[in-house]
Amino acid sequence: MIANTPVEPVAQTDLVEWYFEQGWTDGLPVVPPTPEKIEAVVAALGGAPDHCEARVPPRWGNLTREVLAVNLVLAGCRPEYAGVVRAALVAMCDPHFNINGIQATTHVAAPLVVVNGPIRETLGMNSGWGVFGPGNRANATIGRAIRLVLMNVGGGIPGDLDKSTLGHPGKYSFCIAEDEEASPWAPYHVEQGYRAEDSTVFCIATEAPHSVTNHVANDPEGILDSIASAMSTIAHNNAVSSGSCAVVLGPEHARTIAARQWTRQDVRRYLWSNTTVTFADISFGGRYGKIYNRNLPKWYRREPDARIPVVPSPEDIHLFVAGGAAGRFSAFLPGWGHMTAPVLRAIDGRAPVAATSCTDGTCEL
Amino acid sequence: MATDPQTQHDPTHRVLSTGEHVFDPRGTVTAELVPRAPRLVTLSGVRLAVLDNSKWNASRLLRQTVSHLSEAHGIGEVTTFTKESFSRVAPAALIQEIVSRADAVVTAIGD
Amino acid sequence: MHDTVLLESAGLPTAAIITAAFVNEAHTQRVALGAADLEPVVITHPLSTLTDEEINDRALEAARQVVEVLTS
Repeated sequence: MIANTPVEPVAQTDLVEWYFEQGWTDGLPVVPPTPEKIEAVVAALGGAPDHCEARVPPRWGNLTREVLAVNLVLAGCRPEYAGVVRAALVAMCDPHFNINGIQATTHVAAPLVVVNGPIRETLGMNSGWGVFGPGNRANATIGRAIRLVLMNVGGGIPGDLDKSTLGHPGKYSFCIAEDEEASPWAPYHVEQGYRAEDSTVFCIATEAPHSVTNHVANDPEGILDSIASAMSTIAHNNAVSSGSCAVVLGPEHARTIAARQWTRQDVRRYLWSNTTVTFADISFGGRYGKIYNRNLPKWYRREPDARIPVVPSPEDIHLFVAGGAAGRFSAFLPGWGHMTAPVLRAIDGRAPVAATSCTDGTCEL
Repeated sequence: MATDPQTQHDPTHRVLSTGEHVFDPRGTVTAELVPRAPRLVTLSGVRLAVLDNSKWNASRLLRQTVSHLSEAHGIGEVTTFTKESFSRVAPAALIQEIVSRADAVVTAIGD
Repeated sequence: MHDTVLLESAGLPTAAIITAAFVNEAHTQRVALGAADLEPVVITHPLSTLTDEEINDRALEAARQVVEVLTS
């Protein structure tokens, strides 16, 4: 060999490809973690990398702070997003949420996270144009980190433990912030008893957003009738499995409704009382016999013309204001059913203060 | 390249032979072993609990299964219990009631 | 499978009927709950859309396995 032959470079592993090969991604390329990036996220979580925040079903993997940090970095999060991701996952592992069932269901349901409070601005979250995506790093990567944990730690891999027949795009990332500034009402979390300066995450399992167009009505009833129309079908899970759902009002719609002094409570009650299907609709006119009907909630009146509210109570309609400043659109997000209860949690885990006088959403902020 | 000593006891963090640090996002699973209940010697005269999770056709399937078992094996008293919410774990009170009234259980349906 | 584990650890042999599409999931759950040796009763998928006659076929499939699960 000639002495000055160039030395072959040491083969490098393409880490982006490597993580794909392990089956640890959501189908999109991930950010390969380094010890420094992991340390930064663990520090943001409060140190103690072996501290277990939750066990994630159905695999019951131990979500230590180190493991959570790995998924956050893979997702492309900044360290300061860690508190929101952790709060959302702890909320989802609350037994009332039943993440076990949501992971395994044949339905499309995916956990939506709605963020309230000052953390939205601190992290530069999007509550306006294109709130459901794409484009904002905080929204996109917080939602993505949560999904990576559900897949990697929880074992929710499609076709394996995740039995969702169709899935939906929200299973890549499903995280928004409420537009508290554009909202004519108190923010969602304040109505639930938190202070405005508290930051919270609200988790609810939903189908993909169903757009509601109304460019004609200049009154609350007209707009809400369009939303009620989207809600009054037999196709979504609320119709057959009851439970909770979400409504996101675009700012133009919200302003028109509030201009007539309607409160959040008025909106929920109007929607609830005008969103019905008939028993004949949901039982297919008895075409398949009566045994099937045993699986419908007991309180559904079993007469063909009986009108049945699509959700059991107005409080089961979780109402938010978000979206761009212009455009007369809102969205209805059907839920999974009575098998899950949505969970609201402060980022720092604190309980809400004693109820303020704002529980009907009328107070000005 | 040998494993970096710092990563030796951490199942999440290791070093590839090409020198890069890689991280396993899955976390460990720790499970306390739960022993099975002792098996029955015979089904004859056994008090059987039927736990219906109220999913579609679960109750019909259970009724017919129990009917075949009765014919073939002479099982004893059959008591049916229904779970209100098919996707949730059975509440402790229900488990206790089943335990007090039966020697064995048939449950459906995980689908 | 969670209910099955609770019942077994309370001393009751339990036969849990699942359809074939859920075998892997049931296995993972059992392992995670520390009860890998609990065998479920597996019947052909699906169940939800069957007629009475078809359900009876499944019931026969199930009955045979129930005996095995409870006695061996």
